[in-house]
Amino acid sequence: MAERFDPYALLEALERQRVTYIIIGGLGRVLHGSDELTDGLDIVPSTREENLRRLGLALEELNARRPDGKAPQLDRDLARGPLLELATDAGELKIVPEPAGTRGYDDLRRRARLEPLGRGLRPSVASLDDHARMLAALGREHDREPLLTLQRLIELEHELGRGISREIEL
Amino acid sequence: MRAGLSQVELSQRSGKDRAQIARWERDVVVPSLETLRELLRACGYDLELTLVPYEADRKQDARLQKALQRTPQERLQTMLRGRGR
Repeated sequence: MAERFDPYALLEALERQRVTYIIIGGLGRVLHGSDELTDGLDIVPSTREENLRRLGLALEELNARRPDGKAPQLDRDLARGPLLELATDAGELKIVPEPAGTRGYDDLRRRARLEPLGRGLRPSVASLDDHARMLAALGREHDREPLLTLQRLIELEHELGRGISREIEL
Repeated sequence: MRAGLSQVELSQRSGKDRAQIARWERDVVVPSLETLRELLRACGYDLELTLVPYEADRKQDARLQKALQRTPQERLQTMLRGRGR
């Protein structure tokens, strides 16, 4: 995994342009405690016009390129497929307006949490349950392992929650 | 979700209260196995339960428990260090 990946640079560019989005995918799972390695950032942006304009500015700043080497044209590219894969100067960035098993930003936003990551960044991260929901909906064989990890994390979090409740009762 | 039904449609098909369906969707409460099966059948699916052997992966549990004690920032730093190796 030698590809350059600087999640802080990606998040800072989105922050500077005040883009509204939710982190999903490998990095989202890592932020919840999954012990996998990832080399890209996957986001679900709000698809409101003004937000897509801001996202376009952040992509320019990051020198984003499509697989064919051309600069993305958000309106057109997002209409073409379920996700837009981009290479940037800070690593891979995937834009997924409507991840499998969800209804997009407004659906995920309800359970997402702002997570402080340092350098003044506090991005919104999809919930653990929603991460599991998305992986399950994809139904891909290679997602089986990360899905089992997420399910175990959910169980351990519940056990931890029950432990804390018992301590409070005592 | 896979059936593409709204809460109102699912309520009509299953005979369950729409507000209750919304609470299940928001994870406020969890439906019983029996209720879950009724909901799935209303969507045209069924739930197949199969008994399989289970053995806890204690090494992975220990890693995950350690990760849960870290902040998201620390988890990110740990992953980035792992990529550098």
